[in-house]
Amino acid sequence: MNVLNTVVALSSKLAQAGLVMTETVLSAAQGTLEQAIGMEADPGKLPPISGPRDLDHATSELANRTLRIIHFSPRDWAAIPAVLKDWLRAARFSFDFVDWKNPQSLALPLIAPLSLATLGTQSGLRGLATLDAIGLPRYLEFIKFCVQIFAEFPVYVGLEYEAVIERQQTWLAAHPNDAATRTELGRTLVKVGRFEEAREELEKAAQNSDVRSTAMHEAGLTYYSSSAFSEAARAGCAALEANPENEPARHWLWLASERLGGYPAQVPAEFRMKPKGGWQKPTVHYEEISAACGLDKTSGARGIAVFDYNNDGFLDVVVVAAHAGITLYRNNGDGTFTDVSVESGLYRSTNGFGVSAGDYNNDGFVDLCVCRMGFYGGDCELWRNNGDGTFTDVSQESGVSSWAPSFSVSWVDYDCDGLLDLFVATNIGGLFDRKTPNRLFHNNGDGTFTNVAQDVGITSRWPTIGHSWGDYDNDGYPDLFLSNAIGPPELYRNNGDGTFTNVTDLANLNHPNMAFGAQWCDIDDDGWLDVIQYSWSIHENVVYSMRTGETPPYGNPTRIYRNNRDGTFTEIGREIGIKECWGSMSGNAADLNNDGHLDIALGNGGALMDRVEPVVLLENDGRKFRNVTFAAGLPPVGKSHGLNCADLFNDGRLSILVGAGGNYPGDLMTSAVFCPVARPGNYLSVHLTGTASNRSALGARLKLVAGGKEQHRVVNGGSNFGCLPPDQHFGMANLLHAELLEVWWPSGLKQRFADLSANQKVWITEGQSQWKVAKPTRDEILGQD
Amino acid sequence: MTPYKPNTGARQEFGQPLPVFSLPSLNGRDQRTLRDYLTRKMGAVMVFWSAMCAHCRRYDEYFNSFAGLHSQLGFAAIASRCGEIPSQMQSAAKQRRLVFPVLLDQSGEVARQWHAQQTPRSYLIASEGQLVYRGAIDNFKLPSDEGYVAFLESAIRSYLAGQPIARVETASFGCAIETTYYHLPRQL
Repeated sequence: MNVLNTVVALSSKLAQAGLVMTETVLSAAQGTLEQAIGMEADPGKLPPISGPRDLDHATSELANRTLRIIHFSPRDWAAIPAVLKDWLRAARFSFDFVDWKNPQSLALPLIAPLSLATLGTQSGLRGLATLDAIGLPRYLEFIKFCVQIFAEFPVYVGLEYEAVIERQQTWLAAHPNDAATRTELGRTLVKVGRFEEAREELEKAAQNSDVRSTAMHEAGLTYYSSSAFSEAARAGCAALEANPENEPARHWLWLASERLGGYPAQVPAEFRMKPKGGWQKPTVHYEEISAACGLDKTSGARGIAVFDYNNDGFLDVVVVAAHAGITLYRNNGDGTFTDVSVESGLYRSTNGFGVSAGDYNNDGFVDLCVCRMGFYGGDCELWRNNGDGTFTDVSQESGVSSWAPSFSVSWVDYDCDGLLDLFVATNIGGLFDRKTPNRLFHNNGDGTFTNVAQDVGITSRWPTIGHSWGDYDNDGYPDLFLSNAIGPPELYRNNGDGTFTNVTDLANLNHPNMAFGAQWCDIDDDGWLDVIQYSWSIHENVVYSMRTGETPPYGNPTRIYRNNRDGTFTEIGREIGIKECWGSMSGNAADLNNDGHLDIALGNGGALMDRVEPVVLLENDGRKFRNVTFAAGLPPVGKSHGLNCADLFNDGRLSILVGAGGNYPGDLMTSAVFCPVARPGNYLSVHLTGTASNRSALGARLKLVAGGKEQHRVVNGGSNFGCLPPDQHFGMANLLHAELLEVWWPSGLKQRFADLSANQKVWITEGQSQWKVAKPTRDEILGQD
Repeated sequence: MTPYKPNTGARQEFGQPLPVFSLPSLNGRDQRTLRDYLTRKMGAVMVFWSAMCAHCRRYDEYFNSFAGLHSQLGFAAIASRCGEIPSQMQSAAKQRRLVFPVLLDQSGEVARQWHAQQTPRSYLIASEGQLVYRGAIDNFKLPSDEGYVAFLESAIRSYLAGQPIARVETASFGCAIETTYYHLPRQL
């Protein structure tokens, strides 16, 4: 098998090189032809309300519609006439933009094959990169998963599921013995939350041995969702009896049994599992306080941004959600939060994925940017903070409104001109789609932005989910790490002159992965930024890790790329104890136990309904990471795209915020906030305000020396789907004083502050030699020392 | 009695009257106002609703039984979702045996005035039209679940008992009333 895998990997590399070359040639040929006949490409900025507007979008549309027709059609010869009818309609729709009276259209038969071929090469490249990342044994399973989510996504977003259910029911009325279609109907009903009906269909379908394992596993989900845990356990056993290798069913049998206080006696030993990891002795114990403090948002939550929108010195929280609108929670300063979404006007923003907070107009009030609908498409929205508790949508006049499938967005002052620029990481809007170019909006200083990504050299062929800005070479300019869903990560070095160079190969980062978020941080506190790439694993690999505490073959745990201080990186995750696979869709490195070392919390799950995983807490003792999840009191809460860590109550306890919720309308969850029961050690919190630098001080670097030991932080303008708090949190264990705090501002100014007491939050304004212990007023910020 | 002053401004405040409306009912036979649901009642519950929304469907039985559960309160569903047409609602009502009143807000104007952006979003309104509770009906769990919290019912019980309402607002979840996605070409 190893030899086979090596052969496959080598063949894949060769094939990828061939595809890249082929794509370059074909694209050039297509471009030349289109130019010759004056055919213009649609820049794709506007939503495709009237359908595709150029050939490339049309070929993508038809390919994706074909996939969708096949996905939603029964596997039966009798279904072929309907499939053909659907396909013809899809073809007519996809090419509806063509003006057949225009002589240009005569060239279509010549150009269309080239367009199809370039689409094929791009899709093929992604397919091969996936093979590299996931390995042959799980490849087909993963492709089936991709087909499912890409085919279904628009149907659920556009509320067409009723039509799907009707189609499936109509077919089953005529073909009642079609167990495969009945299973699909059951799954559709689960996805829209019609659990009772789903259960009936699935139990009926399970009478057919071909689908029994799948149907009973899905039925188990419906029982679990209805709190019928004994029945869920019974269904799990039935699924495993039908197929003992159904690892997701084993996982759900364990979840259901946990709710029953342990496995029921009738569950055979071979179906049981006990998570091996997660039981090491923790230094912090957590309690779940979301309902008590008012942050219990039920939704398909995505990113969380933690920032102070009303300048009262307390951190407020924004949660965006795919199946709801934004919720802005105002921190009342007394341990509770009030929902001010309506008052602020932000409630109007719906279907969000990524969110980032930054003061782009340097008026002292932090603004918000929201991007939307990951693998589908949506408008990027900019909400200007008016300073009176309200926000105004300025997407159109600012120029950032543009249609793109996007998971994450961040603020960054990449040219260090004191004005925050905006980066929007983009993806693909269908399984067969061309990568939408990433967007870097340069802040023109007058409230408008210009997309300069292509001009400055930020180009990528891979679908990007997460990204992070950090100055890895300590030259004073933030560099860009792209975490791609498929393909290797990419590193773009900021040349300091407004341009970027792709240094992925030079930096030794060219290793394929499947990943979501990323984060620059100094994991070893040597003054050089390392980068964490939060990897996503398929369900079977997660169950393998849960059962063994190890990585399966071809498993891809979260990666830590250590900065070698010479422009290269070395992946050290497994070496320092990060060896389990999880479906990490978000994560955060923060000193959660105040011991002076950055710990890591992983937010886990996946798009399908059955991905319910815990937030994983990896405590760092300075040498190794240890999984303390279950022992610390963190249960399987479900899917988290927007894990965040913040000192919500200004008392030195970092809470873990989990924006929970899934992809489908039936997969809503309630966000969780895990707060330490007691403060685990001393701390120092630092809030920076820029004057020559951008007001939010994004990109500033901090070095704290306490007890002779250095700790380093970077102020980050976006990480994962959300945005980390502006306050920089240092754990100080049992120390009561820090000898020194150094701040390196994006403007280039370096400042030193000596002898700071622990257990307080200090406010530092750029250029002022004294810190303050209360939030400075506007005059204090603008005034001189 | 406090004079009924509709809140015509942009702000929506608890204890203040919500904007009034006059909307046709789904059966097409009459035009109903907010006042109609408050007359001789202790208040009313209005829910922004959509026939296509999977989340609303969870509450079919609850809405059907609402009048029986709370005879002191008026009740109506307001159909504001962009692009939804009466025939779709009529078909859903017939198929799902819906008996609660549905009002048509096809322009979405009432949803805008009431700052509603999701279906279902519920409002508990006092007898003079004042806002008492707004948000989700529950936390998306089933009543049999250990962690089930019935936000709206809890608010109703407190209100009818003359007690302070512990939680006057929760974040709504559900389908957007107005979004670009409903304007995009159908996929099937």
